[in-house]
Amino acid sequence: MKPILVTGTGVVSAIGLGKAQTLEALLNGRSGVGPLQYLKTGHKEFPVGEVKLTDAEMRTHLGLAEDAISTRTALMGMLALEEALQDAGLTAEMLPKVGFISGTTVGGMDMSEQFYLDFVNSEAHKEYIAAHDCGNCTEMTANHFGKFAFVTTLSTACSSAANAIILGANMIRCGEADIVVVGGSECITKFHLNGFNSLMILDTEPCRPFDATRNGLNLGEGAAYLVLESEESTKRRGAKAQALLSGYGNACDAFHQTASSPEGEGAYLAMKEALELAEIQPSDIDYINAHGTGTPNNDTSESQAMIRLFDGKVPPVSSTKPFTGHTTSASGSIEAVFCILALQHGFLPVNLNWSQPMENGIVPVSQPAKKMLKHVLCNAFGFGGNDSSLLLSSVKAHEPVEGPIHTTNPETCYILSAKQISIQQPLSEDWMQAPVIYEEPFVLSIDPNFKNYISSIEARRMGKILKRAVATSKEALNASGLDTVDATITGTGYGCIENTEFFLDALSREGEQLLKPTYFMQSTHNTVSSLVAIQMKNYSYNVTYAHKGISFDSALQDAWLQFRLGKIESALVGGHDEMTETFYHILKKGGVMGKGDERCGEAAVSVVLASASRCEEVRRSHPEMKPLCKLSGFEMLHQPTTNTLKDAVTRMLQSAGKSLADVDYILTGISGDHGNDAAYLQETKILFGDKPLLKYKHLFGESFTASGIGLYVAAQCLKAGRVPASLFVDSMEISDRQPKCILLYNRSDGKNVSLTILEA
Amino acid sequence: MDELIYTLKQQIIEALNLEDMTPEDIDENAALFGEGLGLDSIDALELIVLMEKNYGIKLKDPNQGKEIFKSVAVMADYISKNRTK
Repeated sequence: MKPILVTGTGVVSAIGLGKAQTLEALLNGRSGVGPLQYLKTGHKEFPVGEVKLTDAEMRTHLGLAEDAISTRTALMGMLALEEALQDAGLTAEMLPKVGFISGTTVGGMDMSEQFYLDFVNSEAHKEYIAAHDCGNCTEMTANHFGKFAFVTTLSTACSSAANAIILGANMIRCGEADIVVVGGSECITKFHLNGFNSLMILDTEPCRPFDATRNGLNLGEGAAYLVLESEESTKRRGAKAQALLSGYGNACDAFHQTASSPEGEGAYLAMKEALELAEIQPSDIDYINAHGTGTPNNDTSESQAMIRLFDGKVPPVSSTKPFTGHTTSASGSIEAVFCILALQHGFLPVNLNWSQPMENGIVPVSQPAKKMLKHVLCNAFGFGGNDSSLLLSSVKAHEPVEGPIHTTNPETCYILSAKQISIQQPLSEDWMQAPVIYEEPFVLSIDPNFKNYISSIEARRMGKILKRAVATSKEALNASGLDTVDATITGTGYGCIENTEFFLDALSREGEQLLKPTYFMQSTHNTVSSLVAIQMKNYSYNVTYAHKGISFDSALQDAWLQFRLGKIESALVGGHDEMTETFYHILKKGGVMGKGDERCGEAAVSVVLASASRCEEVRRSHPEMKPLCKLSGFEMLHQPTTNTLKDAVTRMLQSAGKSLADVDYILTGISGDHGNDAAYLQETKILFGDKPLLKYKHLFGESFTASGIGLYVAAQCLKAGRVPASLFVDSMEISDRQPKCILLYNRSDGKNVSLTILEA
Repeated sequence: MDELIYTLKQQIIEALNLEDMTPEDIDENAALFGEGLGLDSIDALELIVLMEKNYGIKLKDPNQGKEIFKSVAVMADYISKNRTK
């Protein structure tokens, strides 16, 4: 690939606020890990890497009002983003052309765990309910500085920020944006400190990655963002590059939800892919910033992967986690900034606290050393085996290549199959003939017999969301004619909310003792996607998006970009959300769900997409199988004006070789939320004139990933060559006109819009 | 001892959410991990919580579980010798 330039960086962690303090600490071996000071917890026995500022101090620093609604994750994000934007010379006026992609898992959990019982029992602190959402943290961070062109949130546990960087790079390579700010933020919470404790992987001593005596990790916190930019854009505005992103890889270990495989398959594949994309040899790598958490399992597995990839000749390696603690979702971008500092200043970051070689492991850099570096790898691995590796290079390695950065495939992709579980008959299209009408405001999905998909021993730890994800994925894959897929991409607003609730409830009522590891391990959003990969033994690309009502849309966008880059030939894209009665009432109280006459709750959808050539292969082996429809355009926008929306519609139709006259129907997310519905009606009138409007949420309910159901509904209509009367917004418009082209218009939360074009 | 074994089986089924299983389905001498029931490291952690909650036995190192959780019978024997409640 043509390298992408890094024109700005910002960081905050236990070793300091900003790059100057960070560099000083790295050069002088000054660790930020120490006794717990800020988090209110009984677990004083664990050393942690806290950012040495209270929330109030961060607010003051940022010029925020004392009573401004904010979470610690968002505050740290703002601190890092401020430095990155300034560094790159990006002003508020420029942001409407800049994207923002952040990674987090904790989101607003610091507030949810403080106020959980209030959320359940009273009206107190209800203004913090909406802040629980990962996407809300991202928007809080972004909106402090202006209006970005689009925003989304990656949530793949400890590799979240690394995957945000990968998405940003894919967007630039596709020509979707010139500048994207990428990274992640995560504060320490009681929730995950106790969670990691229940998994017995926290060390009561300072962590010792790759040491024979290593006995677990220390938790850390922080945030970091990188400004990624295309070369053309840097030339246009005279921006200076600090480093290059020359390659990246993402693979799934597909082994276990909390443990890495002994041979580190996912880690090996991710690093290998990064090298291949950059077109450089293993011998060109000068340094690896390892994931190196200090747990016996990670360091063994990662060592094996490195020894295998480098054929025994492993370059200098260190884990910088003894400096910062494990900053979980933010580690990918924090450590990428460390790598950039090492490239710029020519040094090898030291692996503190190391003294004894481990059995069959690598020997890390144990003494500070000056060294000119050209290419470095930065690893970030997450629960569920969501493994990513970034390849960063010195600007001195840069050989400018003329011409645009994007080399996208004009070819489009096809939807081969789509399966749903919702309040309609599960895994069936019966709703097209006879939809079930429910009157209750809170709706739970109707489940099929899961024993057809999962053995009871496998099901022992699966919540309903996981069972539905496995069932819809297996059914969709089966109906697609494919044996496997090149990518598994999932959107989920709240993930395994049932287990999250169990854990929060136990933490709030019974305290920090005897918490069940099963509840904690399900609480990360990426549990769904990684479990699907484990079930299907799929080692390919695997990520999860968690950003309110555009979680599924973000997943679809990711696949869409990779099809255009020719990176994948097939993908399984899922949208999965479950709901509990308690959380439904909390979210209703917080104004997040159940507005107006909405029927809402949960839904699951799995869609298999394939390139034209993969479709052709399917057709040859299964002549009876035909794609449901073609995906010919996709776009996502944050807080667009009517004009930017108009432009987006025109642009999309143009690149799909269509005009508005070719569009037969507009499928909206009209849900019964009167405010949002009025905006839908007003905007569609301006954008699409008198095109007949369709809706589906009155039949399937509203959920965070309902837009996935929208895609399923439109695809089934195109396949059937008719639109059921039940879908028309205005009964006067009901017609038997055959749909050839449907435009999906999802307007979530009044802020985020996605547009999708499907063709028969 | 038989009574403890039976109770323990019930507690294991509940803690690990072994749907469709009854105490009669578990052979107290069969391996819990690997070949036998096919449990994994998370189940081992759940068993550690189970022992602390019901019998007041606190394990500091998850590796200790490897010996103690060999089978229900071995586990019951360990509990009877070390229980504090």
